[in-house]
Amino acid sequence: MPARSRPLSPHLSIYRFTLTMANSVIHRGTGMAMYAGTLLIVLWLGAAALGEGPFALVSAVYGFWLVQVVFFLATWALFHHMLGGIRHFVWDSIHALDPMGRETITRVQWALSIILTLGAWALFVWFK
Amino acid sequence: MIDRAALSNPRTHYGSGKAATRGFVLQRLTGALNVAFTLFFVWFVVNLAGADRAHFIETVRNPGIAVILCLLIINVCIHMRIGMREVIEDYISEGPRNRLALVANTTFAVLVAVVTILTIAKIVFWG
Repeated sequence: MPARSRPLSPHLSIYRFTLTMANSVIHRGTGMAMYAGTLLIVLWLGAAALGEGPFALVSAVYGFWLVQVVFFLATWALFHHMLGGIRHFVWDSIHALDPMGRETITRVQWALSIILTLGAWALFVWFK
Repeated sequence: MIDRAALSNPRTHYGSGKAATRGFVLQRLTGALNVAFTLFFVWFVVNLAGADRAHFIETVRNPGIAVILCLLIINVCIHMRIGMREVIEDYISEGPRNRLALVANTTFAVLVAVVTILTIAKIVFWG
């Protein structure tokens, strides 16, 4: 029997804009951004393995303000994606699936991801 | 034609007979582990951001830290490969482009894990 093609996901523009819908897109967006971001870990460790010169170069690049902005956003992406995953565990256990509950835990996710990001940077970077 | 027997038989490739269940379970398992790895990773970056190479090497050479880093990158690569696979399945229709994207996805995930582990091995054994 010839295999039938599996259907694609409908294009994003057909969905009504809601908080959980937007957050689903952002969950994927942050995931894909961090997918590419793993290269920053490879580069950091790789430069350290290569020697003083490459490590100093990568450290200087990572210290540049524009790259620091990327790291700040990456911190938020990491926390937001992590909290989004925890939210999915809540849903997997058949909790907070009603309109009220799903909106509430999504708002909580946003609040916590912003607090955690600002808190981490305040604690470990800005007011160290 | 497409009855219950055809759907449940993975050889027909109807339904989700390829890697869906394994992907679903692994995605949640690696995701849960990633919560712990995230806390470790934040500590790692905070500790080593702006550090000189001597301090960096000394930290990564610690056997416990080196092993956790290796497990972390393997876990992350499994997780991100499944995630990207879902996106590819959702938006690229079946055919050569879909297969190429899936192969590229696997290659990237494996390369990131392998290069990172080789790098850590170099630092641990040769400094």
